[in-house]
Amino acid sequence: MVKRTRWKNLGQIFDCNLHRLPPESVGYAQSPQTLIRKDGIRFYFSTRRLDSNNGKFISQVAYVDYLTDPRQPDFNVRPHVSTHEILAPGQLGCYDEHGVFPFHIFKSGPYLYGYISGWSRRSSVSVETGIGISISYNEGETFERLGNGPILSASLHEPFLVGDPFVIRAGNQYHMWYIYGTQWKHFENSLQPERIYKIAHAISTDGVNWNREGKILIPDLLDDECQALPTVVKWGLKYHMFFCFRDAVGFRDDSKKGYRLGHAESNDLIDWNRDDSFLEDFRSGYSWDAEMQCYPHAAILGDRLYLFYNGNQFGRTGFGAAILEE
Amino acid sequence: MSYSWNKLGLVFEPENYPGRPWMNSYAQGPSSLVLEKTIRVYFSCRPLPDSQGRFVSYSSWVELDRKDPTRIVAVANTPILNLGDKGTFDEFGTYPSSVIPYEEGYRAYYGGWTRCESVPFDVAIGLAESKDGRIFQRVGPGPVLGRSASEPFILSGPKIRKFNDQYILFYIAGRRWLIHAGRAEPVYKIRMALSRDGIQWKIFNQDLIPDSLGPDEAQASPDVTYSSGKYHMFFCYRAPIDYRRNKSNTYRIGYAWSTDLETWNRDDAQAGLSPSKNGWDSEMVAYPHIAEIDGDTFLFYLGNLVGKQGFGLAKLKGKL
Repeated sequence: MVKRTRWKNLGQIFDCNLHRLPPESVGYAQSPQTLIRKDGIRFYFSTRRLDSNNGKFISQVAYVDYLTDPRQPDFNVRPHVSTHEILAPGQLGCYDEHGVFPFHIFKSGPYLYGYISGWSRRSSVSVETGIGISISYNEGETFERLGNGPILSASLHEPFLVGDPFVIRAGNQYHMWYIYGTQWKHFENSLQPERIYKIAHAISTDGVNWNREGKILIPDLLDDECQALPTVVKWGLKYHMFFCFRDAVGFRDDSKKGYRLGHAESNDLIDWNRDDSFLEDFRSGYSWDAEMQCYPHAAILGDRLYLFYNGNQFGRTGFGAAILEE
Repeated sequence: MSYSWNKLGLVFEPENYPGRPWMNSYAQGPSSLVLEKTIRVYFSCRPLPDSQGRFVSYSSWVELDRKDPTRIVAVANTPILNLGDKGTFDEFGTYPSSVIPYEEGYRAYYGGWTRCESVPFDVAIGLAESKDGRIFQRVGPGPVLGRSASEPFILSGPKIRKFNDQYILFYIAGRRWLIHAGRAEPVYKIRMALSRDGIQWKIFNQDLIPDSLGPDEAQASPDVTYSSGKYHMFFCYRAPIDYRRNKSNTYRIGYAWSTDLETWNRDDAQAGLSPSKNGWDSEMVAYPHIAEIDGDTFLFYLGNLVGKQGFGLAKLKGKL
């Protein structure tokens, strides 16, 4: 069988162990998201600190700058990691009180927005999430929330776990791909209820008020499949979506059930054909992502399609990259 | 003031109707529906708390004699709605409920309660439908009006009304959580949303009622009726902290009027209903609901401990 694609995997490009993370960080550089700048490429990501009340994790936003030609990047240059607070913590009782992950950067004309996937802990289940919006007035050094609440949250037919926003502009409309939860399910071999979530789509004329379509876009490959972190890019004549998916239970310890990367393509941004074979050649050969590949972010740099992503343990050690060769 | 309220006393006490473990105590958030021979009053009640002292709430109903609304003629044998599924917004309670006729049946808008880690709870507004008004089914597993950028938590106390062919939802939205004596106490304000179909809501996005106890005043249970060319709102309000039994901080009933539903003139002296010297409503009066019944105007309301003993009734002398 002829392979459709050939990927060149660059391996891990950012290693948390080699570079100092922001103060209080205990590791993790999750969900890298690019901002192309005049003098290089910036990746926003979520890193974790410990909640002093109970030792649980709280995700916070950081970035790393690579000073390199953004059209032909060299990720071997020494990166510069942010040390300041980019987004203040969420307020008591608000949707993002217990962390921001992922943080999606969207540039629209002169405006730089940060879409927040906010986490707050619950009692009967571990967490609830919602999508909020923030804006930067200083080229991404810091962001201010536009409201303490979310712009997209639980609704009549999307009952919980709305998160993982990814926004593009096409014509006069903004499109958002995101996820929502369909079920908190009990499994025999798990003490806690486990969440199941799917990729969905919304349309907006202003980037703030969104109309949801209320349908699942990507057909499942697994029973009780969880789909996360959609990222969409136009490449050639088609739109390509990359995402990650996993089993609903056993995914933390069993690499066969953990996150791997998925793909779908579309001509019109509405109907998607799932075709994971687009990634069949996608492997690094290194150990850092041998057990898990997750949280992809697609970007066109120069004239090449890059896919940035996290490896083992949900991005505990950093992130890597691959280039589509053909 | 051209009117006054004649208190008719405590009307419904859940403890007088045993055999309903889901209705051990409380009859909160009364709202009424005028039927052919009866007034059906929806309210919310609680079973005994769990081993950690935590309550859930159910909504149910009682029917009163239309000719004498202090007389009970029927009490429901079940809640109108079960609790929500694992992880949903209404997993731990449906309180309060407001019911309106819709097509051949009814729609209920209700506060759905979940439990959180850093604060005790969150609330969002759900929608359920019914053919007979006695048992309801959810329209969807999530809320019909939930959190948004400017209303970040606690969307509760819905009252559904239809004025000029438009649905209007009066409700409260949380503003901030205060920490006092190690306890998180919510501040919430009266808000409004508009809809043509009752499902897609546009929030008005302004506080309707100016504060009288400072920026941390909590305002609850807005209910609006139209009479004599004006909209009349009765609501309740309390101090930010120490409001459960301290008589100077507990809920009081407030009043405001409007000609356009958008600009409200607060005039609490016109509310005209204060706590009694002793008895079931001696510590507070709260959660007012106005009902027009055969030319008379009634006020359903709660007393001490926000309706733990049940709800009571007052009848208007004069005209709003």
